[in-house]
Amino acid sequence: MIAFLKRSEGLWLFVRSPAAIVAAVVAVLIIFGAAFAPLLSPVNPYDLSSFSLFDGLIPPLWQEGGNAKFLLGTDDQGRDMISSILYGARLSLIIGLAAMVIATVLGVGLGLAAGYYGGRFDAFVMRIADVQLALPAILTALLIDGIARGVLPADMQGDLRIAVLTIAIALSLWVNFARTARASTFVQMNKEYVQAAIMMGQRPARVMFVHILPNILGPLLVIMTVDLASAILLEATLSFLGIGLPPDSPSLGTLIQIGMQFLFSGEWWILWIPTLFLVALVVSINILGDFLRDVFNPRLR
Amino acid sequence: MRHRILRNTALASGAVIFAAFGAAAEPFKWASATDPQTMDPHAVSSAPVLSFLNNIYEGLVRRGKDMSIEPSLATSWVPLEGENGWRFTLREGVTFQDGSAFNAEDVMFSYERASSEASDVRSWFAPVTEVRVVDDYTIEFVTSAPNPLFPDSIANFMILDKGWAEANDAALPARDAENFATMNVNGTGPFMVSSRDPGVKTVLTPFGGWWDEATHNVTEATFTPIGNAATGLAALLSGEIDFISPIPLQDVAQVEGRDGFKVLEGEETRVIMFGFGHEHDKLLYSSDVTDKNPFADPKVRLAAAQALDMASIDRVLFRGKIEAASQLVPAGISGYSEANADRPAYDPEAAKALLAEAGYPDGFSFGLKCTNDRYINDEALCRAAASMFAAVGLNAELSTGPVRDYWPQLREDDFDMYLLGWSPGTFDMEHPVRFLLHTQDDEKKLGSWNFGNYSNPRVDELLPLVQQEIDPAQRQAYLDEIVQITQDDVAYIPLYTQPLIWAAKENIDLTQRADDFFMLRWVTVN
Amino acid sequence: MVYFILKRLVQSVFVMLAVAFLAFALFRFVGDPVSQMTGVETSVQDQEKLREELGLNDPFAVQFYRFTTDMLRGDFGFSYRTRQPVAQMISARIPATLELGFVALLISLIVGIPAGVYTALRPRGVTSQTILMVTLVGVSIPTFVIGIMLIFYFGVKLGWLPTFGRGGTVNVAGWETSFLTVEGWRSLILPALTLGVYQLTLTMRLVRAEMMEVMRSDYIRFATARGVPMGRLYFRHALSNTLVPVITIIGLQFGGVIAFSIVTESVFQWPGLGLLFLESIRFVDIPVMGVYLVVIALFFVIVNMVVDLLYVAIDPRLRVRDAT
Repeated sequence: MIAFLKRSEGLWLFVRSPAAIVAAVVAVLIIFGAAFAPLLSPVNPYDLSSFSLFDGLIPPLWQEGGNAKFLLGTDDQGRDMISSILYGARLSLIIGLAAMVIATVLGVGLGLAAGYYGGRFDAFVMRIADVQLALPAILTALLIDGIARGVLPADMQGDLRIAVLTIAIALSLWVNFARTARASTFVQMNKEYVQAAIMMGQRPARVMFVHILPNILGPLLVIMTVDLASAILLEATLSFLGIGLPPDSPSLGTLIQIGMQFLFSGEWWILWIPTLFLVALVVSINILGDFLRDVFNPRLR
Repeated sequence: MRHRILRNTALASGAVIFAAFGAAAEPFKWASATDPQTMDPHAVSSAPVLSFLNNIYEGLVRRGKDMSIEPSLATSWVPLEGENGWRFTLREGVTFQDGSAFNAEDVMFSYERASSEASDVRSWFAPVTEVRVVDDYTIEFVTSAPNPLFPDSIANFMILDKGWAEANDAALPARDAENFATMNVNGTGPFMVSSRDPGVKTVLTPFGGWWDEATHNVTEATFTPIGNAATGLAALLSGEIDFISPIPLQDVAQVEGRDGFKVLEGEETRVIMFGFGHEHDKLLYSSDVTDKNPFADPKVRLAAAQALDMASIDRVLFRGKIEAASQLVPAGISGYSEANADRPAYDPEAAKALLAEAGYPDGFSFGLKCTNDRYINDEALCRAAASMFAAVGLNAELSTGPVRDYWPQLREDDFDMYLLGWSPGTFDMEHPVRFLLHTQDDEKKLGSWNFGNYSNPRVDELLPLVQQEIDPAQRQAYLDEIVQITQDDVAYIPLYTQPLIWAAKENIDLTQRADDFFMLRWVTVN
Repeated sequence: MVYFILKRLVQSVFVMLAVAFLAFALFRFVGDPVSQMTGVETSVQDQEKLREELGLNDPFAVQFYRFTTDMLRGDFGFSYRTRQPVAQMISARIPATLELGFVALLISLIVGIPAGVYTALRPRGVTSQTILMVTLVGVSIPTFVIGIMLIFYFGVKLGWLPTFGRGGTVNVAGWETSFLTVEGWRSLILPALTLGVYQLTLTMRLVRAEMMEVMRSDYIRFATARGVPMGRLYFRHALSNTLVPVITIIGLQFGGVIAFSIVTESVFQWPGLGLLFLESIRFVDIPVMGVYLVVIALFFVIVNMVVDLLYVAIDPRLRVRDAT
């Protein structure tokens, strides 16, 4: 009932917020493009035989030297920019979403339990969070990457880069969820309905997930959107530091990293077109997050 | 323990320091990607260390602008009579930067230091069996076999002052802990270190008592390591530094197009190549051929070579700045085989035919290992190569990574094909033959970088002949034969010589040497 | 309260040990330090000898034990890359990072708090919407792109500010500071801005959210009704009420600033801890990486503890729970 009211109120707010509408449209377009990348892209940028160095460094169509075959030009390998960007956005989104989901499940689960049980368990979880915070994301990524390389057979490693990166990003994001969930749970624990449920002898899991969780969902949703944006950016940053995805299956972040080499050489499109895409995507996710915050009006921890 | 000479004198304000820079006649600032790890010339045998310290320390011989060997602390050298080895006559009247005199005892001491177990340059002295001080200015190096190239091979063997090193407890190079020589210097060379903050900056000043006539006009030289290429370029273009090496290839046009800047282009001596797992009995990374190693067949190796379109790689990835390579050293290096200067032509059809002939009409997949932070455009090169291989049916599963865990992977035979760059340390063809072509032999320390263990008995037989031959024509004949054999075998696919791109302000005159060493003594600030 | 602090101290030791353990587990996978320490011509046997000397062939447990006991004895070891004492290397780099983080945080507060107040008071105004939008775009561009853009615009194109390094520093009692010279301050601006953008946006949004919350509270409504002047109302009453939680969170953010500075330091060649750490990864300089991590962990543990104490001080409910 409450949820329904909130939702309809949200709908109403949404219609009144032009920024949110634009953001939603942009986000949907990019997500759509990414989801149907294989159908929309002129070529498959992961297929090495589909492009050739002959076509390298062709500028976008509207610039002198452009080629109708490559609307947004090609990179230094002769790879079509549109195809790379669509496939790249797809990878970025997959990694971002997956990392966010893992971080949410892990963080909310631990945060809820910490808030519910308190005491030693709480201290334990929070100290793990401290350990996590002390390890910069780059290091977590190196750690996971290193372990995967040490443990997994050689020929599987290429395919597992994505999973490795996702887990690394998720691990550096879960603390946010845990802290927020824990703090909100503390507040809820003092409410009568929770105390009543506990008195009635309901199982802890039921109290946590059925009673408390729906009431702390608001701030969590906001963090989810913000962290989806962070995850996508973090992936780009890890690429910059040299531990992102390999350039033969690039994400948007990897494309930007490749493009950085051409920042001053005149081939502006290799850097700026993927950057524009990334920024558009991240900004619209952030605007939607803002919008959600307005709907739930929570205080971001 | 840091030197603070400069800072202490101007401690009151950094602004004072900068004012002082402005007032001085010709200060010079330069940057490069890596800070020399140490100031000890025998502790780490890496290019940044040897290049930097050549401005401070000197050897018995040194290399001129064209890489030729010329007298330095030794004025002349002749082969020994009646036994193998060389006699060096030392320069008189040379003093170290702390004022103590240089003589044969210092050479003897430096030899013992540099050939000790704690030294990282001891391989230079592997052929040496005995060193004798004849008198104060004569010293003899006895070698186990005739060694015509010995003087060339010790151009980077730098001489320390015995008294200074012993007094400061630095008689041996620092191996796992620092010692006095890690941060402090006392050479005979043209420059001294006046302050050093590792990884941040190192300031050099001219040594007034240098024995040679100074041709530079630098009054103070400041070195800053800048790891990020874009940041380094920005530092040059904003005028904060006078010179940087290297700059990215794709930015050459940008720098040349600006007033007041120039680009120095040259060829390094490093040849980039692909290597094969010759002795592997099967492919590690293949999804279709898992029971044998197609690269054991020279036809397949030749097909791979023919699949590579070097002209396109040059035009797009290297902006026309590379020279395709036919062998493991570039033209101009001693021992280069003029007789074998052709590389397999780009011919995808012939490559496909060869693959079919070898029993792989549909090609096969394999793993290609590459670095992504070692050579210029290494990753882009491998991506392009993988795409060209794919065009003839060789489906490369590319995996790239930083060099820090690359060599261990190669040493563990964890590859089907790999990327390697090789710069002949002695500037002679014998060097890559010893390290890359001779059969692996840990005992004799041969073939230590021959990861795929290419092995040909005739090559193994020829190497000692090359090493000991005094007659240049006969020596070249041996080397020509080696190059011929390894080209026929397609032991490696030599790709190109790595370009050397430096950038400086217009008013700086300097010399770009093929070993990528930067010599301050050739700098003129106009 | 004393009990709480003691308990946290004990827990902190375990946190540090866990970080050291994890860090140590990782080192074996980063790469081979020996091949980074030696030249190409060094024989395999000599490499193996060095590996043995450095204790790299010992079992993991032995190496970890040695690392922790050495550390407890105050022996931080020597860097594989430069052969210098690690304690000296790390302590030489701490001022650069702390000063950069401090200025970045300062920028985020000086700009972020007024901007947060303004956007809270005029939520629908054009200026507010513009501020919100611009900062949002700011946090959506990867830090390294922002850094390079700033360098090229202000450093190369306009030539106003230095593009790298710390410029003039002065050594005050062993602390290398940028704060005492004009050149030092000029060098600080671009990296601090790059690092501060993210924090600025965060601070602004926090202040805005808290401010809006407080403005809606009965207490402010009564004050408005009583006729307290608007200016005084906003800044004396409303803002001061929002600051406690904001400062708490900013305390936490400072830790984030230190961790984030890795990228900024690398772009600006800023000789701080982050840059040292990246160089150490490149050269597989295990001793430096290990000490860096433990130092960062110590820093986080202290910050978190202070923040938690503040929480307890602010919110009595937490105190009750923690006592049980």
